[in-house]
Amino acid sequence: MKNGTGVHVLPQTTILHRRKREKKKRDWNSIIFQAIFLLPAIAFLLVFMYYPIEETFRISLTRSVGLGDADFIGFQNYSRLFASTEFRAGFMNVLAWAFWSIVIQIPLAFFIAFSLTAYRNRLTGTLRAVYYLASVMPSAIVAMLGRFIFAPRFGVIASLAEALNWTWLGRIDFLGNPDIAFWSVFAVATWTYTGFPIVYFMANIEQIPMEIRESAQLDGATQGQYARYIVIPWVSYAIRIVAIISTVGSLKLFDLPWLITSGGPVHATTTLAIILYKQGFVNWQYGRAAAVGVVIFLLSLIFTVAQFSIQRKGGDVN
Amino acid sequence: MFRSKAVVFVTLLLLVSLCFGLLATVSAQPVKLVVWGRDLPDDDPAHAYVKALVTGFKANNPDIDLEYVALGDPGLTDKTKVVMASGSGLPDVFQSWGGSVMGGYADAGRLLDLTAELKDLPCSPAAREAMSWKGKIYGVAPFFAIAGLFVNEDLFDAYGYAVPTTLKELEEVADAFLAKGIQPFACGARDKWPVLAFYMYLTDRYGGIETFADAQARRGRFDSEPFVKAAQHYQDWVKKGYFGDMPLSEAYGDAQQLMATGKAAMHITGSWMCAQYSDEDFTDQTIGFYAFPVLEGGKGKVTDIMGQTDIGFAATHVAADKKEAVVRFLKYTMDPEPCAAEPGRICSVPGVPSPSRLNEMASAVFGTAEVVQFWWDQDLPPMLTAPLNDAMQNFFIPDADVKSVLTEYEWLVEDHLGPAK
Amino acid sequence: MKEISLATAGNGKFSRFRPRSGISGVINNLILVILALAVVLPLLLPWFFVFKTRLEFSYSPWSLPAQIQWNNFQEAWKAIHIGQGLMNTFWVCLGAIVCTVPAAGMAGYIFARYRSKVTEVIFYAVLVGYFVPVHMVLIPLYQLNVKLGIIDTLPGLFLPMTAFGIPFWTIIYRSFFRGLPGELAEAARIDGAGHAGIFFRVMLPLANPATILAVLLVFIGSWSDYLLSLVLLNSPRNFTMQLRVAQFLNQYGTDNMPRYAAAAVISAAPTLLLYIIGHRWIIRGTLAGALKG
Repeated sequence: MKNGTGVHVLPQTTILHRRKREKKKRDWNSIIFQAIFLLPAIAFLLVFMYYPIEETFRISLTRSVGLGDADFIGFQNYSRLFASTEFRAGFMNVLAWAFWSIVIQIPLAFFIAFSLTAYRNRLTGTLRAVYYLASVMPSAIVAMLGRFIFAPRFGVIASLAEALNWTWLGRIDFLGNPDIAFWSVFAVATWTYTGFPIVYFMANIEQIPMEIRESAQLDGATQGQYARYIVIPWVSYAIRIVAIISTVGSLKLFDLPWLITSGGPVHATTTLAIILYKQGFVNWQYGRAAAVGVVIFLLSLIFTVAQFSIQRKGGDVN
Repeated sequence: MFRSKAVVFVTLLLLVSLCFGLLATVSAQPVKLVVWGRDLPDDDPAHAYVKALVTGFKANNPDIDLEYVALGDPGLTDKTKVVMASGSGLPDVFQSWGGSVMGGYADAGRLLDLTAELKDLPCSPAAREAMSWKGKIYGVAPFFAIAGLFVNEDLFDAYGYAVPTTLKELEEVADAFLAKGIQPFACGARDKWPVLAFYMYLTDRYGGIETFADAQARRGRFDSEPFVKAAQHYQDWVKKGYFGDMPLSEAYGDAQQLMATGKAAMHITGSWMCAQYSDEDFTDQTIGFYAFPVLEGGKGKVTDIMGQTDIGFAATHVAADKKEAVVRFLKYTMDPEPCAAEPGRICSVPGVPSPSRLNEMASAVFGTAEVVQFWWDQDLPPMLTAPLNDAMQNFFIPDADVKSVLTEYEWLVEDHLGPAK
Repeated sequence: MKEISLATAGNGKFSRFRPRSGISGVINNLILVILALAVVLPLLLPWFFVFKTRLEFSYSPWSLPAQIQWNNFQEAWKAIHIGQGLMNTFWVCLGAIVCTVPAAGMAGYIFARYRSKVTEVIFYAVLVGYFVPVHMVLIPLYQLNVKLGIIDTLPGLFLPMTAFGIPFWTIIYRSFFRGLPGELAEAARIDGAGHAGIFFRVMLPLANPATILAVLLVFIGSWSDYLLSLVLLNSPRNFTMQLRVAQFLNQYGTDNMPRYAAAAVISAAPTLLLYIIGHRWIIRGTLAGALKG
């Protein structure tokens, strides 16, 4: 890339490395600057996040009932957890959820985002506003809407089936059949969780400089080629970010399956966070709840580190 | 001499008036009472009792500054747990359903022992028992709910069926309704907890009232014969279609809707539904409340009743220096004045007139009770209730092995309470 | 530097871009519209209920109401006490934004542009805050607030909210800053700007889309927060508006669906309004981000 003065300029990071090699002494200005800029974030997290996290790790090794002292029992909470059918079900459910979120929601969001940016007309602004609307709704209301749609007999789909005489549709047990219930809740989740990726992708796609767009058009690229060879590489980092957000969000998932099906039928839609809530707030097994929390935490860490290191191996974007 | 006496006299006078002055300021300060409840004291008919309670108490007790905070459900239970766990920020009084949850708080020393003040309060023994733990009374239960059989009398009359008194008759009626395209029973299995009402009665009818108490006290097992037989019986009903085509997707609200519109004939649930089922705005069906039928040849009697606190209040230790105010409040919750405003629940206070025919029927059934077993999910320690609800949902899965489900639950109980003898 | 032309900066005029052939363009639009309907139609569902009596709702939830009943809205409006708690909500939102956005923006900038082993480790340390499910920390957080003496205060509410928001927005800011070309920073450096100068004069304005997104979403998030508000506030005089609304919603539900639907509509209305007003800023912000020279 050339800037106005015709000097061939390298990306910022390379320059930093060059600088470092040139000046052997530490750049104190830079370090102080970094420290100051990082201070607020770290301070907040240290107080309000790390202390509770540390407490949780500690409690997970005890038999705490949340009232009074707790006995130290080592890893018993964890072994009990891994032996429990509900935990295994929740574990598989969140992994499946993460997988399908990435496979279904990301392409969908990208398709919509690309269509809205690359091919604009009067509708674009309104459409974008509409898509994001779904994610602004509080989860209690989204769950309520989900229940309206899938409820048996009186739900929207059931009533529609009755009106149109489509008995096959009326016979599908959306919330009571363990195999289908997962997908019903997932559908509701897709409805509400796709909005943010759409907006985020759009903001990224719109950052593509005019020259690139124009040169692609001058080269006679079709929409499809433009998407594949230019846009996707450009937003690949954004896609990875959304993948991480979806994965961690899936691991933490609580609201929708809890409000729509209470984690049921039996354990078909239960998640790790639901188990955490039940153990902590219903069963008073705070030790075990903390253990579930630690599991969620560690899984998130593993997936995120994996995501970021794949990306680093692949080289920086831009 | 006279002067010194005068000095002494004046000093005494000053001291005395100082004391009076202090006392006056102290007693002039209104005592602040913080009460956490579930329902908003607004114009909704279902909240009439709470509204009467709050406004009436404030009017009758100008020296007490009552702050009533409505937290809703699950807000109330969640927040209470957090606050109890941390031990600070406790309210003076909170709405409680007694039983083992309240017991847990009591064991941790968070509650106020009011045995002396409340033991002579006129109320039903079951209600008093519900708010006691290990012999001490911690609160009051102005309203007590029992589980029973709600029957759509319009439908029964239309087809000429009599209200069943035995399980066999119950099944005959159910078959008849099924043949006519009416769902025999509304349940609400999607929300898990509604499943318990019927199961409690079935187990009792098979094995007698001691069955559950024995299992909990570890004199028996949760996979013993009455439990298993009851579970299999339940599953049979599911397979026959007594709970509809898709029982697991039916939420408690859907069940109510079915009863309200006459699409279901019967509903086995708690008497708290009396208010709705007698409300013209909610349903145009005539619904009655009856005792659960007996099993011929079984050990359970018709006078074995399952019940729990419907509305109750308990006091915490932070109110220890305001005992008098707290007791006044708790006694007022049991006062006929606010109690009469309640449209549907069974009142534990003698002498309060029933607000509706349905409520009268429910109170009558309650009146016949010889033994009251608390709802299992109030009686069991908290760590065993969610697993119980999860396990029972399996009864609704036609090919589930209910015996092994119950055995697994037994193992869980053994982990926490020890093995059965 | 090239001239920046606002007219061609994507303001709806891609006329120079070869449009898709007619049919695929139409199909494309059709799909988009269908998807949009899939979003909007469910939001209309409560409107079927709010004008009915409970009885009518029980019998035929999806038919048009026989007679428009206004009392559901009236009762819900009376009970929600909109206005009470509005100031509290306002302070909480303001506090959350003022604390979260700058902290996340500054940290995100460092992680994007000053990459070293140390900052990478710190980035992961910040990131782990995102892995925490809320219920896990409710009790320790409550106890912490008690220890710090900020329980039942508004800062006691928006400071933990900030801690929850920072990891997410740091990730977003980091990705935004990484996407910015380095020459601009280089040019500013040549002009003599120091680290702070580069940030405030060059980089931050370019990350406007992220900032606008952050402000809007942090606002909406703290506006509609329920769980933290419920747990960390004790006295009704500190309750936020949304907490009151949520409490109201919790009163009803299955046995009074029309009233619940009315309450849901009322409770969603402010969020919707905020969103409608706010989203115009997002578009303006992202357009500004498309200005490249």
